[in-house]
Amino acid sequence: MANVYTPPVQTLIDELGRLPGVGPKSAQRIAFHLLKIPAEDVARLAMAITDAKARVRFCARCWNVAEQELCPICLDDRRDSSIICVVEESRDIVAVEKTGEFRGRYHVLLGAMNPLEGIGPEQLKVKELFARIEPEQVQEVILCTNPNTEGEVTAMYIARMMKPFGVKVTRIASGLPVGGDLEYADELTLGRALEGRRDITN
Amino acid sequence: MASHLYRDTAVVLRTYKLGEADRIVVLLTEAHGKVRAVAKGVRKTKSKFGARLEPMSHVHLLLSQGRDLDVVSQAESVESLAPLVADLDHLTAGIAVLEAADQMALEREPNPGLYRMVVGALRTIAARGGSLVVPAFYWKLLAADGVRPELDVCVRCGEAGPLVAFDMLHGGVLCRTCRSGAPLSEGALEIMRMILGGRLNDALNTPPSRETHEVMAHATRSLEHHIERRLRTVAMFERAELG
Repeated sequence: MANVYTPPVQTLIDELGRLPGVGPKSAQRIAFHLLKIPAEDVARLAMAITDAKARVRFCARCWNVAEQELCPICLDDRRDSSIICVVEESRDIVAVEKTGEFRGRYHVLLGAMNPLEGIGPEQLKVKELFARIEPEQVQEVILCTNPNTEGEVTAMYIARMMKPFGVKVTRIASGLPVGGDLEYADELTLGRALEGRRDITN
Repeated sequence: MASHLYRDTAVVLRTYKLGEADRIVVLLTEAHGKVRAVAKGVRKTKSKFGARLEPMSHVHLLLSQGRDLDVVSQAESVESLAPLVADLDHLTAGIAVLEAADQMALEREPNPGLYRMVVGALRTIAARGGSLVVPAFYWKLLAADGVRPELDVCVRCGEAGPLVAFDMLHGGVLCRTCRSGAPLSEGALEIMRMILGGRLNDALNTPPSRETHEVMAHATRSLEHHIERRLRTVAMFERAELG
């Protein structure tokens, strides 16, 4: 099929189609939406993209996205620096922050170990995590990677490597989601939920 | 569109993320060979069968045939994954088995023998672990594919006398005069003979030693030679062990 659209439109569609989760049809729809809306709205979007790209970088300490050298969480003195929560991606920090249960600092690995894809500890910010333990006098490391095979491998690998440091290493619990049905729970999750049961204190 | 439903039992070889919350699972099925299927919504925490479709899971499945990818409509575990994911060594061994199986399996080409070997290897890892399960699996894979190495006499001159080297290019062991490839110790040769000579159980009882490491190295190199690709998992956890 030859290009039906004029080159600028086709370029826009092609570029949009490279975004994650955007197929050729969606790209076409977004492109035509952009052409229809006022020029200043488009300019604002373009500004937001270039601005974010130019100003955002990784925090030098925890590899979260940041605007300055350190991210807002690392700059916050009220946070407990003796406890580090290890996550796979910056967006996982948002998920943990929403709980309001954690007042320590974070460490973003920027991925998870996946031997089949050739992603090992060298491709992740694992060494950087170990380098933080002594200078920051860390007492506990919480492994908050995803409860899937990659996250599990990553957590166990880090736990093994952390042994010589003599620091408390914990793994987030895994169990049933609130609002879920026991009947539909899988054996592994339900088994872990039973294993990690606790006393009800009255 | 009327979709064709079918049932099968399978081991999940690997998974890829797809879109927002879906996953593509690569399955080694008993009756349909390697099958790629979409599992919808499994990355959401409330998914009814997400946890059953992690790599290494052994599951009964109800699949509906699609044009390109099949769709998983139900999944039920055959056995628990817990002993495999509870230990880093078990996990890495399991992944090494999956990687090799993925390389050997052909899409939509039924291979019940391979399926049974993978299930057997994973069960053995879950039940007793041990450093020899993975190399034993590799040797058995090669033997099943028709490239069983010669272990009794020198492949070049037929000499039964001291066999000191192993070379997959020649397809087996070599004597002192014909030697090429990698050196082979007597202990490692004995373990390899046990694995391929019907004494697998005795071989698996061998405690980890320099010989078992050697067997692993020979097995990995031979399988890599056969599939003409590097095996990533092995390289990765060899390094983890050293570090």
